[in-house]
Amino acid sequence: MTVVVSAGVPETEDVLAITEDVWTALLGDDATLVPRDVPPRSSFDADAWSAATTISGGWQGVVTIELGEAAARRLTTRMLALAADGEATDSDVADAVGELVNMVGGNVKGLLPGPSTLSLPAVAAGRAAFSRDTVLACRVDLAWQDGPVRVSVHVPQEGPR
Amino acid sequence: MTTSTAFASVSALVRRETSMVYDEGKEYLVEARLNPLAAARGLGLEEYVGRLAFDADERRKAVDALTINETSWFRDHTPYQAFTDAMLPALVEGRQITRRLRIWSAACSSGQEAYSIAMLLDQHLPAGWSHEIVATDISTAMLERVRAGRYSQVEVNRGLPATGLVRYFTRAGRDWEIAERLRERITVRHLNLAAPYTGLGTFDVIWLRNVLIYFDAATKSDILRRMLPMLAGDGYLLLGSSETTLDLPAELAAAWRREQIGRVPVYRRAPTGSLTPSLTSTGDRPCAR
Amino acid sequence: MRAMIIDDSRAMRSILRRIVAGLDFETSEAEHGQAALDQLRAGVVPDVCLVDWNMPVMDGYTFITEVRANPAWRDITLMMVTTEGEQRQIVRALAAGAHEYVIKPFTPDAIVDKLSLLGLVPA
Repeated sequence: MTVVVSAGVPETEDVLAITEDVWTALLGDDATLVPRDVPPRSSFDADAWSAATTISGGWQGVVTIELGEAAARRLTTRMLALAADGEATDSDVADAVGELVNMVGGNVKGLLPGPSTLSLPAVAAGRAAFSRDTVLACRVDLAWQDGPVRVSVHVPQEGPR
Repeated sequence: MTTSTAFASVSALVRRETSMVYDEGKEYLVEARLNPLAAARGLGLEEYVGRLAFDADERRKAVDALTINETSWFRDHTPYQAFTDAMLPALVEGRQITRRLRIWSAACSSGQEAYSIAMLLDQHLPAGWSHEIVATDISTAMLERVRAGRYSQVEVNRGLPATGLVRYFTRAGRDWEIAERLRERITVRHLNLAAPYTGLGTFDVIWLRNVLIYFDAATKSDILRRMLPMLAGDGYLLLGSSETTLDLPAELAAAWRREQIGRVPVYRRAPTGSLTPSLTSTGDRPCAR
Repeated sequence: MRAMIIDDSRAMRSILRRIVAGLDFETSEAEHGQAALDQLRAGVVPDVCLVDWNMPVMDGYTFITEVRANPAWRDITLMMVTTEGEQRQIVRALAAGAHEYVIKPFTPDAIVDKLSLLGLVPA
């Protein structure tokens, strides 16, 4: 069977712009994300929350977002309009981080050949684990209010089918 | 003051007064919004920004210009409804011979107004009719955007009906691109509204919305005086909801007749020869937009 | 005016609730299409539903189809608010009876603009 790498993988620039759009919509003036220099292949370096969503159909891949613990809580506080960071429960954070990856993932899907479906988000307290039969297609490392934020897109090892 | 310090100072001002952020890369926006104000004062952009430090009035105007004048599709809805329900049928009635309409979107910015009109004409103009929409702006960057007809996800979310999105746009990466058949109806022209209107021809409807607020009273009068011969005898002029011809010098105010279409005020040329030749002379003031 | 906000994310429901509450809407919420249908059947009938697409139990597309199949709910305005931005999906949702469609992420203005387009808030 021939493997067709048609519209291949999303551009880093597009994933960055999508992430910025999501942050701006949620946070307005406080949305500033700054680029963060991280060596290739390094694992996420913080106490983290992670969420992943799978795109399947016309294009196959997984979009993952990882956030430092403090950034995840602060973002949750903002999304739920809570009075203080301490008020967000783990379940709140899971919900908010899941919605983040849903928004980023849905917009990444929009860039790629369809029709495809987007899975419900899978959220974990901790770094993301990536399946061995996938390969990193694109990664964006950022900092929001000093906390690390990473968005990555993985595709099946043998390339998109 | 250099351009980059001017930009930094404006961006700090806006942030201080409204919490809105103008990041680097948004220089074109600051330019597009402040150039008309600077020109109204007879200043260059840098000089104008320098003045903001000590001129509170001007500072408020600048902040307004930078914050409240966002462009959306079918902005305010009602003028577009009035266009479809009342103006268009009347114009069609009166042009059975030529079967052609010409519309002017003056100070078109990124083109949402011009393309909103194009969508309505595509749906409501009878078969066999032709039309041209002339979109003018002082900013060549904006004219480029109109020509390209590409809008971001955030932009298409603003006031564009979903039916319009799927009917007239296709996805192009992160952006949405407007249909070729609408784009080819639009003629883009670089024009300073305060300079002569040459080679434009006359129009059946002129959309001059939310731009007069940027001009001083004398320039505003001059523009509305020179709009008279640009409009067909039975044509319509549309202004922004906070703009009016009522505060013009008496003679000029009398040359415009205000009519209501539902809640929408429209302006038409007064029928009698109340217009003296001096009123139609071409102005040439050093103002912008 | 009453709005029902149907989204599996509490955070998203909270964001939408604050936007429409700012327009003086009364609000109710459901975490998926089935829960929303249950509320409708129990007599909680809003003027407008803001509906996510991807949800567990019953997705927003199925919900819209169900609402449109019941003449008693003819007056409910349906607005999708979803990250699903494929053009063919937007066409499907409109064909199934959605009146409007907002793609996430959105700014509050976008929601207000669309509600005003639908005649639910003054322009």
